[in-house]
Amino acid sequence: MSGAQISSGPAGSSKSLKYIIGIAVFALFLAAPLLITSEYILHILIMTVYFAYLAVSWNIICGYVGQLSLGHSIFSGIAGYVSVLLFIDTGLSPWIGMFIGGLFAMMVGVAIGYPCFRLRGPYFTLTTIAFAELVRIWLENTDEFLGVQLKGAMGLLVPLRGDAPALFQFTGKEPYYYTILAMLLIAMAITFWVERSRLGYYLKAIKGDQDGAEAIGVNSTKYMLTAMAISSFLTGLGGCYYAQLFRYINPERNMGIDISIETALMAIVGGQGTIIGPVLGAFLLTPTGELARSFFGGALPGLHLVIYGLVLVLVVIFLPKGLISPLRYLIRKGVDRK
Amino acid sequence: MDPIIIGVAVVNGLMIGGIYGAVALGLSLIFGVMRVINFAHGSFLMVGMFIPYWLWKLFGVNPYLSVVVAAPALFFLGYMVQSVVIAPLIRRERALVLEPVSVLMLTAGLTWIMDNLALMFFGPNFRAVQLDFALNTIQIGILSMNVTRLLAFIMSILVAIGLSMFLAKTDLGRAIRSTAQNRDAAALCGINVSKVYNITFGLGCATLGIVACFMIPFYYVSPSVGLGFGIRSFIVVVLGGIGSIPGSILGGLVLGVVESVGGQFVTATSASLFSFIIFIGVLVFKPTGLMGKKV
Repeated sequence: MSGAQISSGPAGSSKSLKYIIGIAVFALFLAAPLLITSEYILHILIMTVYFAYLAVSWNIICGYVGQLSLGHSIFSGIAGYVSVLLFIDTGLSPWIGMFIGGLFAMMVGVAIGYPCFRLRGPYFTLTTIAFAELVRIWLENTDEFLGVQLKGAMGLLVPLRGDAPALFQFTGKEPYYYTILAMLLIAMAITFWVERSRLGYYLKAIKGDQDGAEAIGVNSTKYMLTAMAISSFLTGLGGCYYAQLFRYINPERNMGIDISIETALMAIVGGQGTIIGPVLGAFLLTPTGELARSFFGGALPGLHLVIYGLVLVLVVIFLPKGLISPLRYLIRKGVDRK
Repeated sequence: MDPIIIGVAVVNGLMIGGIYGAVALGLSLIFGVMRVINFAHGSFLMVGMFIPYWLWKLFGVNPYLSVVVAAPALFFLGYMVQSVVIAPLIRRERALVLEPVSVLMLTAGLTWIMDNLALMFFGPNFRAVQLDFALNTIQIGILSMNVTRLLAFIMSILVAIGLSMFLAKTDLGRAIRSTAQNRDAAALCGINVSKVYNITFGLGCATLGIVACFMIPFYYVSPSVGLGFGIRSFIVVVLGGIGSIPGSILGGLVLGVVESVGGQFVTATSASLFSFIIFIGVLVFKPTGLMGKKV
């Protein structure tokens, strides 16, 4: 997997360098709201961390197994709707609602994964798109289902409760920032655990050669479904967070194919199948996109998506392992020189 | 429900279904030969529709005449995209482990670039070509058919027949088919595989150029028109069986009828639900499609 673990000589110093960089970056992130005075910049940072979180969650199934899902928005959408509806109809705090939503997303993930994992390559991708579009179109055209008000394409507003931390509503942006930062760290810790567990080894074996892995007795469906359950649960939590951040949820924003593609894009550009890669991709692309949108959005609509597209094409052609691979090389080279 | 209304819906569905099938032809051809899913397929159609639109808008050229410009232009565009952007990946694929999703991501990136460049230059507006006879209809019994739609339907069938004939009868067609069967064996027989790939990709896009010119008299074009047709094309190709030309047309007809008849029972926007349900059903239960052979 990572070169730093395999090479034995400079591994020690490479590892300590990694820790130093890690702690420094972490401290910087903790202090970020104190250093940033502009509400807008903080919002961009929140969106960046949010996409990093989604990309890390996506990566757990898609990065490690090597299948491309372009339908992950189904999980963020369903979980978001569950938590918002629970809050509107029963007054249940979204802090609890998001876990119920996550469980819903997980059930959907396993239910979809079971037939999908028999398909490979493009077939898998197309089926994930089809499921996500199916649910989105149904939601957009359904105002009421079993007595629950869904309000179709209009979407649902999260009722305002003022400064109510217990109900996941804050007046400032800082608490939202720390929430998503904590979620990102937890998702990365889970990825770290998956990578080093038996599950991670099985997944990598399946990615290398699924038939071969099955031939030596790896129950590929079982392990892929386990990874899918983790991934869809985490993505679901992200969807609930998104709904709370904007206090609004609708099928297009929370379940559209754009969110799925952007999530996959971040992970692939950064480096799928690694812990840091998806975060790196999100931190490169989200601010670039947001800035392009705010500076040129009026005169040149769509410029940020042209940039995304170009970066994606270049990375797929020249850096198939993502941006993380040259970065690793540089760090190792720096350590060797010492 | 009234059988006449259903009958009209079926005929309308068949008409639009023929076009779905013709749009999907290129996708099916490219996948059949290169084993590559061209996610940017719909975007090529969008480009193909803008060419006759601008020729009509700026110079007053009849869109049906624009075929002689649009088809070669799309062929060239497809040829260049394949030889410059996708070919390096296929060359690498031959040396390393096969990564089918990388081409998918690459063409997804192309979709974003093409759609949003169009958005930057042309704006998000929906545009249409207005022809004098666009509203004329032909009356057959109780069915009335729009002339432009009928022309597009006939052209779709002709394009499919022409493509089949080309693949069956010409040397180049035989080279394409043999490359589809076995890339390495074809190369051993002296076929220039990378050139065949370029031509196949160009051909797949050229069919879009023809269909686009026949669609523009009755179908609005906008930078985002591609995605819907792209997704429908995937459905059609999966329904009909990948690489099968008659399958592509048949899949298109099925999809057109399902959408059209389904639209009589639910709101028009949710009619595409049925297509997705069929799509998932076929993929899960019969992944080789209606007319596909076992791989």
